[in-house]
Amino acid sequence: MSTTVTANSATAPTTATGSALAASSRFKVFAITFSIAGPVVYCLSVYFNLAVFTYFPAIGRFAWGVEAVQSGTGPNMLWYGWDVTTILVAGVLGLIAMMLPERVTNKIPLFLVWLVPILSIPYVVYALMFWWRLAMRE
Amino acid sequence: MTSPISTSNVFWTVWLFVHLILALGLLGALTHQAMAAAFPVRQPAGGIVTRFRAVSAPGYATAVCVLYVLVFLIGSFIYTSYRVNIRIPLEQGHYFKTGGFFDFKEHVSTLGLVLLPAYWYFWKNAQNPEYDNARKGVTLVLAVMVWFLFIVGHVLNNTRGFGA
Repeated sequence: MSTTVTANSATAPTTATGSALAASSRFKVFAITFSIAGPVVYCLSVYFNLAVFTYFPAIGRFAWGVEAVQSGTGPNMLWYGWDVTTILVAGVLGLIAMMLPERVTNKIPLFLVWLVPILSIPYVVYALMFWWRLAMRE
Repeated sequence: MTSPISTSNVFWTVWLFVHLILALGLLGALTHQAMAAAFPVRQPAGGIVTRFRAVSAPGYATAVCVLYVLVFLIGSFIYTSYRVNIRIPLEQGHYFKTGGFFDFKEHVSTLGLVLLPAYWYFWKNAQNPEYDNARKGVTLVLAVMVWFLFIVGHVLNNTRGFGA
């Protein structure tokens, strides 16, 4: 089987999407701001425990904000709340960025989109220290 | 205490399978795309590695986003059962590294999720050389994340998952 190589690389011209969203400069600003702010907001949500809600899976109960485990509730889950906080805050930041003049938004460095999540990893590992401490005691 | 998630093993096993199958699709699509972005094929060749890289990478973007969100949502749903039926026995069995890595997976999955809007935008504008480096970077980061998520999920499933 022969291999035809046309428009198959990232840098080669590609099929035009025709998508209004993909052509929108406002969506570009929203998407880039959301993706840069997202990891930062998520780490802050974890650090400051800013969960929109707490879920108790053993009894199927939701509670607004952060609610501690009580007798008979079983374990609590904050991750869903952190995620919703992150999406809401990063979304609002994206919307705010859309309102800024283009001369400002054009200065947002695009490499931050992939660099910020990499820089978030050490904090995430640190945030799980209780697990690593328990593991080291073994 | 009445648990709403103490349904049958079959129920959770089916969801775990759906999660796995969609994750495999995501892994394949993203790996193809990452290889095409990192090592673009300049001229025709017949080798399997070259053909692996010689895909129409931009065409994968929407599928990757849809698959990521689906895998994320189903994983989030299964997580409720994991928290009660798997994590507690893991802690009791002193599988702390396994539990820690699952929580690591949880964080990484969110970090990957928030990358999707920019990832999608960069690929839908693949004809614009201004985005070449950012597109390559975000695709590689996302691919590494998805491989990590997949491997941790697989190891955890071997520890106490399927049919547990």
